[in-house]
Amino acid sequence: MNTNHQGGLALMRATWLSWMQHRSFFFILAFGWMMQPLIFMFVWATAAGDQTVGGLTRGEIVAYYLTLILVNQITYSQTNWTVGDLIRGGDMNRLLLLPMSPLYNTLAAELAGKVVYLTFVLPITVGLALLLKPEFNLTAVSLIAFLPALLLAWLLRFLWGYALALLAFWAARADALLAVQDALVFLLAGQAAPMLLLPPLLRTLAVILPFRYMVGFPAEVLTGQLDAAQLAFGFAMQIGWLAVTVLLYQLMWRRGVRQYTAVGG
Amino acid sequence: MMHLRLIRTFISASAQEEAAYRANFAISLLHSLLNFATGLLGLGIIYGQVPAIQGWDYASALAVLGVYLTVSALRGLMMGPSLDALAGMDGEVWRGAFDFTLLRPVRTQFLVSVRKWRLFTLFDLLLGLLVLGTAVARLQVTLTFYQLAAFLLALAAGLLVLYAILLAAASLVFWDPGLMVGWVFDSLFQMARYPVGLYPGWLRLMLTWVIPVGFITTIPAAALSEGLSWGLLGGSLAFALVLTVGASWLFRVGLRRYASASS
Amino acid sequence: MNNAHIEVQNLSKTYRVPQRQSGLGAALRSLARREYTEVTAVSHLSFAIQPGEMVGFIGPNGAGKTTTLKMLAGLLHPSGGTAVVAGYTPWERRPEYLRRISMVLGNKSQMLWDIPPLDTFHVLGEIYGITPTDLQQTVEELTAVLDMGDLLTKPVRNLSLGERMKCELVAALLHRPSVLFLDEPTLGLDVSMQRRLRQFIADTNRRTGATMILTSHYMADVAELCPRVVLIHQGRLLYDGLLGQLSDQLAPFKLIRLALDRANGEGEWRHRLPEGTAVLDPDPANLTLRVPRRETSAITAYLLNTLPVVDLSVENPPLEAVIDQIYQEAAV
Repeated sequence: MNTNHQGGLALMRATWLSWMQHRSFFFILAFGWMMQPLIFMFVWATAAGDQTVGGLTRGEIVAYYLTLILVNQITYSQTNWTVGDLIRGGDMNRLLLLPMSPLYNTLAAELAGKVVYLTFVLPITVGLALLLKPEFNLTAVSLIAFLPALLLAWLLRFLWGYALALLAFWAARADALLAVQDALVFLLAGQAAPMLLLPPLLRTLAVILPFRYMVGFPAEVLTGQLDAAQLAFGFAMQIGWLAVTVLLYQLMWRRGVRQYTAVGG
Repeated sequence: MMHLRLIRTFISASAQEEAAYRANFAISLLHSLLNFATGLLGLGIIYGQVPAIQGWDYASALAVLGVYLTVSALRGLMMGPSLDALAGMDGEVWRGAFDFTLLRPVRTQFLVSVRKWRLFTLFDLLLGLLVLGTAVARLQVTLTFYQLAAFLLALAAGLLVLYAILLAAASLVFWDPGLMVGWVFDSLFQMARYPVGLYPGWLRLMLTWVIPVGFITTIPAAALSEGLSWGLLGGSLAFALVLTVGASWLFRVGLRRYASASS
Repeated sequence: MNNAHIEVQNLSKTYRVPQRQSGLGAALRSLARREYTEVTAVSHLSFAIQPGEMVGFIGPNGAGKTTTLKMLAGLLHPSGGTAVVAGYTPWERRPEYLRRISMVLGNKSQMLWDIPPLDTFHVLGEIYGITPTDLQQTVEELTAVLDMGDLLTKPVRNLSLGERMKCELVAALLHRPSVLFLDEPTLGLDVSMQRRLRQFIADTNRRTGATMILTSHYMADVAELCPRVVLIHQGRLLYDGLLGQLSDQLAPFKLIRLALDRANGEGEWRHRLPEGTAVLDPDPANLTLRVPRRETSAITAYLLNTLPVVDLSVENPPLEAVIDQIYQEAAV
């Protein structure tokens, strides 16, 4: 892999500047992504009322969902557009020529995008926190474990999205797969409900499949919903799925570039 | 009437345009089914933990979801595509082709509201009616003629409110073609999936009177589950009419602005 | 019959354009108090067009031609003045008026993109209330003249630009309008297609007697189709009359082409040119001078006397050059 840090940094800064020009567009996108977690936050909170629902108080639910919104925004993967479109549009050729791995290009867009989105989402989340008074039961463990969980979640989601986007080397459209994945993320990754509140069948699926480890898991960690065993298990699953994803990515990249350059993208 | 014949022509032309893209059919089918499934599952997850929230039990919430799916389908059938063709991301105003529409000897508001149909949404309509039917069965109410009539009138009021909101949002294109009002509305409309009573008080008020998406789905569903007083029904229709008149006025103002400000 | 008479008096159109400067400070200030500049697109235009005439509007980009056309089509509200087209005030947008006019926009399409042109024609037929028999007859006539037989069943997106333009013309003529506005109809087409369409437009004007106004960048369009032109520059009417006399009136110049004998004093001729002469081409083998019309004979005599002239000819300036010069100079 070609490493070129200077080039990479310059690219990130340029991408960020150009995206900030269109910030209202990105803000509206971010608003759309926030909506489902917000809706479910309100509904669960009303369900809890003065008592609890599934063992969580109203305050804890608000805390969980506000964290979820931030985690979702931080880990959200745009590789379908940044990579997939590049391949479909034939622009990948240009990137393959540069003395810089195409990964840099995607990472630049990733980081630029996150900064733009967070400019919008962070103040709103803080504002909502002030209005709705979340209840954070922070322990040392939950605080220390949160950052690694978040980082692993981001890495997992990014590489998984990247590998999936590489399908563009073979298939003209990955719409169907993405639609199914969106549905699974909604149900299993903590948006519809934190894992603990899911019915048995869905809970099993959530624990086995990688989606929870991309979004919901860090939020559960921070809000102290998991005991020590569940915490350790969660980390193990994150690392395990990460390994699988890296292998998948490498496989698809090698096969894909061969196919792409052979056919003449 | 000439207008009905025109509508028939528009449906025919739209059907042909739709048929030109066969690949979209499979994807649309998938989207419809996923939307349907996640909606049901979402509701199921919530009511798996509690029997009722603020007086809304599973059956009555299911009724709201059914109304939401039905209304969404009807929106996607005609109002949505037509107004999108005017003000959407690839719309006429954006592309500069709106002048042709203005040249037609037919009322512009009529044209931009009914000229594009998407017949695939009839499938979504079927799914929505299925959910509604299930809800009614679970509610274990025997529907009297009056209740059904009240439901249909409430639904009509809801659809009119939806039209008014969409028309007003589309009219904004005459001031700023770049506004993605459609996207913002779509996000807010998601809130109409659940009974308005499930939201905290301040949000409930906002969703009923300010951005009346809650109004659109909750009131017709309530007609089925608990019945509506004639007063509430009359008030809803009046509210819907007022909004429609207001939105039509905004559209006319937008047209005048287009005629004086564009070049 | 066709009483599509156009009468325009003092038509004006001014815009208030909001001032937008860059930077956060300016943006905040603009929230408090908007500043506007007035842009005059059209200023006190007056002209009259008889039924059945074909008139060309010419002028540089942004001169106001398209704006004027759109006002006559009822798409824009003027800031001042009056216009009567076929007995109606265009911007009242009465359905009876809209049924009698039609517009072709060069770089915009009114065809439905994914389906064959015939289907768009059917929709237009319904919108304009054309009976099916009339519609069929009109479509057959027009498509025969334009040689479009095999196009009618292909989706519009598969057609070339020239083929699409043919469809646009047919679509515009389906309801047999008495007034036709053509805004850059041959834009982007190759030369042979331009010629075909010009022929068709002239033909239509003769056959139907529809009053037509055409704007175009291409002098060939105007020269071939429009005996009468209206020159609009910076929103004002500079010239209204026969194209042939435009040069005489607006640019009373003549071109003198000289071939000089090189053996005699090369370069000296520069100092011997009379005043009021502009040098267009300094090559001594093809020295081209632009001189005021009135002084042509005097200057010619002077040149023959003072310069080693081998060959000399006097020409009218090409129409393009005249127009170019007008476009470049400030309005008189």
